[in-house]
Amino acid sequence: MKIFFCSTGSAVQRRFVKRIWLATFINVFFCVATAVAFRLWHLRGLPAYCIAVLPALPTMGVLLALGIYLREETDEFQRRVLVESMLSGIGFTLALTTTWGYLEDFARVPHLHLIWIYVIFWVFLGISIPVVMARYR
Amino acid sequence: MKNRLKVLRAERDWSQADLALRLEVSRQSVNAIETGKFDPSLPLAFKLARLFGLRIEEIFEDSD
Repeated sequence: MKIFFCSTGSAVQRRFVKRIWLATFINVFFCVATAVAFRLWHLRGLPAYCIAVLPALPTMGVLLALGIYLREETDEFQRRVLVESMLSGIGFTLALTTTWGYLEDFARVPHLHLIWIYVIFWVFLGISIPVVMARYR
Repeated sequence: MKNRLKVLRAERDWSQADLALRLEVSRQSVNAIETGKFDPSLPLAFKLARLFGLRIEEIFEDSD
C-alpha cells in the first residue's frame, strides 16, 4: 500500500497523504510552540489547559483524515485493507497498553506516558498494513 | 470465491493493471479478486460483468 509515501496513487490517496503531512507539520509546530510558551510564561489555570491541548488537535486531525479517506476511497479493497489494519492496530495497541498498565501496577515497570499510545497505534498500523496486504496476495 | 477473471482477462490480453484501469480500482484489488481472496461487492461484480459482457454467475462460481 503506497498511500503513506506516495507521489503516485489515486487522487483520494494523494489528498489523504497531503492532509496527514499537513497535520503532522502543524503538530510539530504546536509541540514546539507549546513547549516554548510554557517555558517562557509559566502558564497556569485555563490558559495552561488551552495551550497544552493545542498539539493534540492536529493528531485528531490525522484521525479525521483517516475517516475522510475511508469515506472518499472508491476502491473497496483498499478500504478493506485499511479497516482491517486499523482494527489490528487498535487491538494490538489496547493489548500492549493494558498489559503495560498491569506491569506498572504489579511489577513496577516504568510509567508509560499516555501520549505514546497514539504513537504505538501508528506503529502497529504501519506494521499491520503490509501484513494484511500479504494475506490477500 | 472462485472466478474466471484470469481466463477472461487472458482472452482479451489484458494485464491486471489494464483491468484495474477499466474498473477504476487498484491492481491489488484485481489480484485479490482473481485469487479468490477478496469477494467484490455487488456493484463491482456488476461492473465486471458489464465489462466482459457476461452475467455475474458466468464469472463467479457459487461454491455452495
